[in-house]
Amino acid sequence: MHEASIALSILDVISERCNAEGYSTVESVRLKIGRAAGIMPEALVFTFDAAKHDTLARDAELVIDIVPLGGYCVRCGGNFEAEDAYVLNCPLCGSADFKIERGYEMEIVEMEVK
Amino acid sequence: MKVKVVTRILEANERLAEENRRKFRESGVFVMNLMGAPGAGKTSLLEKTIEGMKNRKRIGVIEGDIAGTDDAERINSTGVPVVQINTGGACHLDANMISEVLPDVPLGELDLLIVENVGNLVCPAEFKVGEDMKAMVLSISEGHDKPLKYPLMFQESSALVVNKIDLLPYVNVDIDKLKRDAVSLNPALKIFEVSCRTGQGLEKWIEWLNGLN
Repeated sequence: MHEASIALSILDVISERCNAEGYSTVESVRLKIGRAAGIMPEALVFTFDAAKHDTLARDAELVIDIVPLGGYCVRCGGNFEAEDAYVLNCPLCGSADFKIERGYEMEIVEMEVK
Repeated sequence: MKVKVVTRILEANERLAEENRRKFRESGVFVMNLMGAPGAGKTSLLEKTIEGMKNRKRIGVIEGDIAGTDDAERINSTGVPVVQINTGGACHLDANMISEVLPDVPLGELDLLIVENVGNLVCPAEFKVGEDMKAMVLSISEGHDKPLKYPLMFQESSALVVNKIDLLPYVNVDIDKLKRDAVSLNPALKIFEVSCRTGQGLEKWIEWLNGLN
């Protein structure tokens, strides 16, 4: 449950950027969160909404795009995506020799400002 | 108007962690971030590790807890320098909390600094503090299902210390499954089975840690 720290970090990053570039209001913030990043999207939205009141983002909506865990198998060469936050074997051939390429993202992609 | 931001959310923490790391390197101090659930035996492992290593390495400790100084007092009685951080509610240590107490840590007089994180299997794995290595303690009675329930911590750790191994005959825990799942999540993970109560297995852990820095 470190979503509160994450929400405060998001507000820091976007406030800094708005101050530097002269924007006065943030209307929405789009995030990319990997399935395996250890973040509960509902808890992040809840804590963001609780923390945003005295900031430029007081009316901002948090939009979260979830990135599924994905990678490729070294043995069968296939690309895969998983629903879970972890993979123990290649979902295609069962091999344990695979590489994870995405699913750990925790990024602010863009924001809508005025 | 849309503005591209493209910033890692924890970038500020990572920058501070890098700054801490630079200070540790300059002083030649190796830093271990020790994580695990409340009651797993993190402080007990620390006491035994200090006892077994203090003739070979100059050790210092930063204790992270939500409240209280019990752990710092336990470490203090082993004779090594210790600083207590009370997070006042936060469930993990971050790079800024470490950076704020660094003036109280005698880095120039240390070879090994151990940061004992707040008891929690989730959040500490997310926040770098400037460490060279992360290790985790899991007591055997916590169950063999923990790697698949809390994968990130097992993936982030270089070593897993399975503590209270003397309780194995009394609990319904499949230690082979525990080890198999942990290694599947992290093939490079070193696993040590120890009991801080009986002393079983501690020597191997201490030799390994001593050889790292």
